[in-house]
Amino acid sequence: MKLLKRVYLGLILFFLYIPIIVLIVQSFNAGKSRAKWEGFSFHWYEELIHDPNIMNALVITLSIAVLAALFSTILGTFAAIGIHAMKRRPQNLMLTLNNIPMTMPDIVTGISLMLLFIFTQVERGFVTMLLAHITFDVPYVILSVMPKLKQMNKHSYEAALDLGATPMYALFHVILPEVMPGVITGAMLAFTLSLDDFTISYFTTNPLVQNLSTLIYSQARKGIKPTMNALSALMFVALLVLLLVVNRRTKEEDA
Amino acid sequence: MEEQRLISLENISKHYDGVTVLDNINLYIRKKEFVTLLGPSGCGKTTTLRIIGGFETADSGRVMFDSKDISGIPPYKRRVNTVFQKYALFPHLNVQDNIAFGLKLKKMPKDEIARKVDYMLDLVNLKGYHKRSVESLSGGQQQRIAIARALVNEPEVLLLDEPLGALDLKLRKEMQLELKAMQQRLGITFLYVTHDQEEALTMSDTIVVMQGGRILQIGTPKSIYDEPQNAFVANFIGESNIFPGVMVRDELVHFCGVDFPCVDSGFGEDKPVDVVIRPEDILLVGEDVGQVTGVIKSVLFKGVHYEMMIDAGHSIWKVHSTTMQPEGSRVGLAVVPFNIHIMHPMEDEKPTEEKAQ
Amino acid sequence: MTNFQVPVWGYWMMGLGFAAFIGLLIAYIRKNRGFRRPIFASPYMLWLVIFTVIPCFLVAYFSFTDPQGNFTLDNFKSFWDSNFNARKAMSPEDLALYESMGLSLDDLGLGRDSINIDTLVFSLWMAFLCTVICLLLGYPAAHIMADREFKLGPTLVILFVVPMWMNFLLRTIALMSLLEDNGLINNVLEWIGVGRQKLLNNIAAVQAGMVYNFLPFMVFPIYNVLNKMDYKLSEAAMDLGCDKWHVFYKVTLPLSVPGVVSGITMVFMPAVTTFYISRLLGGGKVQLFGDLIEAKFLSTSLNEWNVGSALSLLMMILILLSLGLLNKVDPEGEGGGMI
Repeated sequence: MKLLKRVYLGLILFFLYIPIIVLIVQSFNAGKSRAKWEGFSFHWYEELIHDPNIMNALVITLSIAVLAALFSTILGTFAAIGIHAMKRRPQNLMLTLNNIPMTMPDIVTGISLMLLFIFTQVERGFVTMLLAHITFDVPYVILSVMPKLKQMNKHSYEAALDLGATPMYALFHVILPEVMPGVITGAMLAFTLSLDDFTISYFTTNPLVQNLSTLIYSQARKGIKPTMNALSALMFVALLVLLLVVNRRTKEEDA
Repeated sequence: MEEQRLISLENISKHYDGVTVLDNINLYIRKKEFVTLLGPSGCGKTTTLRIIGGFETADSGRVMFDSKDISGIPPYKRRVNTVFQKYALFPHLNVQDNIAFGLKLKKMPKDEIARKVDYMLDLVNLKGYHKRSVESLSGGQQQRIAIARALVNEPEVLLLDEPLGALDLKLRKEMQLELKAMQQRLGITFLYVTHDQEEALTMSDTIVVMQGGRILQIGTPKSIYDEPQNAFVANFIGESNIFPGVMVRDELVHFCGVDFPCVDSGFGEDKPVDVVIRPEDILLVGEDVGQVTGVIKSVLFKGVHYEMMIDAGHSIWKVHSTTMQPEGSRVGLAVVPFNIHIMHPMEDEKPTEEKAQ
Repeated sequence: MTNFQVPVWGYWMMGLGFAAFIGLLIAYIRKNRGFRRPIFASPYMLWLVIFTVIPCFLVAYFSFTDPQGNFTLDNFKSFWDSNFNARKAMSPEDLALYESMGLSLDDLGLGRDSINIDTLVFSLWMAFLCTVICLLLGYPAAHIMADREFKLGPTLVILFVVPMWMNFLLRTIALMSLLEDNGLINNVLEWIGVGRQKLLNNIAAVQAGMVYNFLPFMVFPIYNVLNKMDYKLSEAAMDLGCDKWHVFYKVTLPLSVPGVVSGITMVFMPAVTTFYISRLLGGGKVQLFGDLIEAKFLSTSLNEWNVGSALSLLMMILILLSLGLLNKVDPEGEGGGMI
């Protein structure tokens, strides 16, 4: 029975991981063929670096992720502090609105934002993609900061005011230091989500401004080039490392 | 007297989600006075404190400080400081930085801050704790730091919101004495909030008894204990027997089926009243000489005295006595006129019934 | 694409909205006699209105208008009547003529381009199938891992979570390269003598892709609930005379319902709305509701955008209804906590 259980789990994990493993292995295959192993090489990685499209998309992806994480963290942290101090009814309203981007299917969020940009005649491109990313990142930042605020002694802020601090001073010297772990987790989460997003970027950018996801999608329809394997492998490892760090942080906080 | 009033609350009312939290509160606090707001939870005492601290604004009425209206002044511009219920120490700062928090905001020179912090740590008996993390301290120590953090700013008034609530009994008693001594030494006005009547009696110059958003009675501990104005106050402060009665005429009251001579007058003739008698004021006498007779239902040893419940037909009397009578024996009960206290019955009956159980 | 003009009232609305926001802010500060913390949320409030509330209304606005901006319900009509647009394009006289001849528009082959309702039903069926498969595969896996005696459990759960965080596209492409004509599976099949098969570009491939992508979403919430469950409960049940099987279906199963519901939603929702999985693994031969919406918006014909909005609105309503249902069953969101 015990063995059976382990075999079962093993099979499911095998199903989940075999495509990824094969992909990573093939990224080191010297030849172009998927059928034959023609020896280990970094050939496709070299080609990857010299592909201007991919490098361009990488720069866009990273800069969007960094900027979106930065802005959404600032916006979200302040919002969380504000929402936390609200009375019940406006608080519930805000939390419901905040939930919309998280519960809506990505395709609907993407389309609704696209309609907004078209309606207001904003040329779709880097900026619109950034705005869209901030929009779907902020709820997650709020979600990470909120529990820290709830853990805080509810009189800490008042104590600071009582001792002569202005609200701004209290915010930066009392509240922020106390919720900092949540803020950092939120920022990392926003960065990862932004790095990872495809659907929303797809609808809020133009074909000339591509991030890695939309580039992969447009190329995948033409057929997979081996450079894509190399790119996928790199992205997987990068995300894995990031997530391990985020996970570590959350665990430490829980402990 | 007028110029001694440091803080006065004028017609303060506050509603919260349709519930009246404070109902037309009028109160003044004199300089160097130790005033306690006493009442059960939800009576509005903490809200009153928070309005004075500036953390909440009243819906109507004014808060006067040194005869100036401070209703719209934010907390950081008020010359009062607060000791919060669960201390609210800043966990990311150490003891020294917590205490110096307010002084740094005033841009005080560093050496002066250091001197004051030393002095305060000395005052609260925590010498040498400068660098300790506040989270490593015990509840009592955290409490002292919270007091030091507030007092170091030399406030005109120190507001204390159930500061000893989280401490164990023995520590609480020690701290009560220390706080009182500190207040007298520094000559600062204290406004103290508690639901513990014993704490209020021990420490205060003036006690304000609150219930349901209203002030029921203001007075010295002794006057509140000896002359409660209604059954609620009588019950909340100390233990008491409260009987519904009728004032036959001045200095004669009828309750429990018997006429008792008393010393109160001015209630009118044949008027319903509440009669309060403290358990320690009831004398156990022989069956034949008592004003009332009854059977002892239960006896509890309470350390200093015995607490006996005596069934006198239609009423139950709680009696404290240093001598014990066995359960089941018949005894006579007597009360000297001076110890019978007559009160107007409460308009609002409900709390009386609840407390009378 | 850019013939959308902001109507004059649009500018007025924007101006008024902004003024109202500033006014509210000032009123708030006045009323509270000074600065209060909820003010910190005001930038995000404005953001939410611009980037969440208004876009939702825009979807609704486009759903109920034609490209000229006039109110219409046509966008919804074409949803269930596949001949709607064809019929509209014809003159009433012609239409009467056809009908008098006993011909339907289907016979003329005019209505083939809009098969919206069929696509939705097919998407729901695919999503349903995917949810059932994920539940059947995922529940036992979660149950095994949540067993207290299985020391490896917590570690294995992380292994389930890791691919969930990997880019969906990459995962789908990985699966795609596995299923290719000269991919690993076909190589293995040839080697064992079965011969190469056509594995890509069919319904089964899309279904496999969906299960592959969404299985972790099922395992994780169920594991969460089972793991948090007090093991003393099953001990108590055994103490009261339950055998292992009874413990499972009298205690464990009912208590894990919130996790199951959460898992079902988390699989079903993205499964209904996905469009790239079918595009990549179905090779354009399998069309889901998400593909339909995407196609409407990729089209250059403006009318199609309004139809696409209407379809998005329907999807929004579908999702909101399911979420409402979920809230009823799992109000505390116990099964959640994906992050």
